Amino acid sequence: MADDGRDGDERAADGRGDEELMLAFCRGSQQAFAELFKRYRQPLFGFFRRRLADAARAEELTQDTFVAVLRGAARWEPTALFRTYLYAIGLKILNAERRKAAFRATFLGPSEREPAARSSLDAEVVMRDAVGRLEPMDREVLLLREFEQLSYAEIAELLRLPVNTVRSRLFRARTALHAVLTAPAPKTTAAGMTESEGRV
Amino acid sequence: MTTTHVAPEEVMAWVDGELAESEARTVEAHVEECAECAGVAAGFRRMSEDLAEWMVPEIPARVEAAVMKAAAGAKEHAHGRFRRTWGTRRRWIVGLAGAMALVLALVAIPFPAHKSRGMYMVAPMQRQPSMAPLDQRSPASGVAGLMDRQIAPSATVERKRSDSAAMVASLVAPSPAIGAASAVAAPMIARTVSLAVRVKEVGAARTTLEAMLARHHGYTAQMTASAAEGAPHELQASLRIPAGDLEAALKDLRTLGRVENETQSGEEVTQQHQDLAARLKNSRETEARMQAILEQRTGRLSDVLEVEQEIARVRGEIESMEAEQAGLEHRVDFATVDVSVMEEAKFDGVADSAAARMRDGLVTGFTNARETVVGMVVFGEEYGPAILVWAVVLGLPGIWLWRRYRRGLRAG
Repeated sequence: MADDGRDGDERAADGRGDEELMLAFCRGSQQAFAELFKRYRQPLFGFFRRRLADAARAEELTQDTFVAVLRGAARWEPTALFRTYLYAIGLKILNAERRKAAFRATFLGPSEREPAARSSLDAEVVMRDAVGRLEPMDREVLLLREFEQLSYAEIAELLRLPVNTVRSRLFRARTALHAVLTAPAPKTTAAGMTESEGRV
Repeated sequence: MTTTHVAPEEVMAWVDGELAESEARTVEAHVEECAECAGVAAGFRRMSEDLAEWMVPEIPARVEAAVMKAAAGAKEHAHGRFRRTWGTRRRWIVGLAGAMALVLALVAIPFPAHKSRGMYMVAPMQRQPSMAPLDQRSPASGVAGLMDRQIAPSATVERKRSDSAAMVASLVAPSPAIGAASAVAAPMIARTVSLAVRVKEVGAARTTLEAMLARHHGYTAQMTASAAEGAPHELQASLRIPAGDLEAALKDLRTLGRVENETQSGEEVTQQHQDLAARLKNSRETEARMQAILEQRTGRLSDVLEVEQEIARVRGEIESMEAEQAGLEHRVDFATVDVSVMEEAKFDGVADSAAARMRDGLVTGFTNARETVVGMVVFGEEYGPAILVWAVVLGLPGIWLWRRYRRGLRAG
């Protein structure tokens, strides 16, 4: 298992920020792109892997996202953080994938889902199931916060929501997730988390 | 001691480090003192820790190889950006083109029906203008001749356009007086064209018009030219042009100036002509019989006079019908072209004032708006029910599929 947080050592090895690297890549530095890839390959793979049941598709979409960064490099402007930009592309690609899957399921019948979850570790099975029960937008806010470590403002920008909505949705998602994880216990509110020792 | 708890959502934002500095200090101070809120904070932290257990495997090395290869390739393609942009837009362009083609196809579908009708109207049997008058001394051969003339071209028409011939056959029901010979006849169509042309100089247009008439062997049935002072000059003419030359003549007429309006129509006179021919035949036979009676039989003077009167009456009818028939044939042989030639308005330094033009513009604008609204209402009335039917027919399965699709999307 890999730690998909950003690698502090690797960052220190180069010393430059993501945006600087991207600018360097825009000027033609392949090395800068290689460094960006090194920093984000695992977080981005995690991003797709947690949202898709199909591991192979997660790989392909990670690759597609980096290829999209490559292709869009000429148009890139350092107006936003690179990671917001990267996840924005990732989200677009993910949504396109979901639309395609939904279309296939609608017109061609449901495809066979791979039994990857079953062979995975318990934590993954439990979490995937629990997170899967959340309302889609709440789920997205929660995942972006917990795994991509994005700030409320970044999530708001990515999902085109007001920051306050992100906060309330995140709170709702966490409350709901707590309820799911503690089931079949009675319905728990956020205030109830203290009573149940906040075990989620 | 009563403590006002901090809202759990606020505690969550504090745990996430998303509160402003002053708010964060307040919440922090409260959490240090309040065990309940500290529990909430601990709950959120534990949830994050639990979620962190959901690890994903290392990304396979093949992804790195593929991306790096793409990176190297991207650098090599100097014109890559254009091709990529085109590539991403191509789908949209193809989609838009497809949609436009579909709309065009839908708009064009009703046309074939009109078109075939139009062809039927525009390309009728081209009767020869040199058609000889009926032989009055031998009525039977005259009628037979007429029949021959009607049937001969119909054979060609029938070969070329069997559908048209079938339509004609249904239009022209065989009359018992005419017999089997007229079972199928080509349509006789009297064509009328109305053309409004705006020209620079009416005088020049008139000269061209006359030259064109001579070229196409037509003539002017009526002409009015007005050249009132202060008003644009006008020329109204009703022309007769041999049906065979009509298309060419129209082409010439259109070159006179800017065509503002053109309408074409055709009146089907086949039935009328055949009825007339049948009645004519009967009257001639009656006349012949009475002539025979007069020559062969003798009787009282009053009887003879009566028969002669009757013959005179029938003769009158025959002549009137012959004239009508000739007129009908002439209408078919010679198409009527009503031409209205107007000179472009000249502003001899008396241009409308800005206010007048704006007022006119406003009036035109309101008229256009009213016409648009009326058009929309009429469209709604004409097509609304059909659209409603289609909406139900296509809408219900569409809604079902859409719901299914949304469900699939939500399931992620």
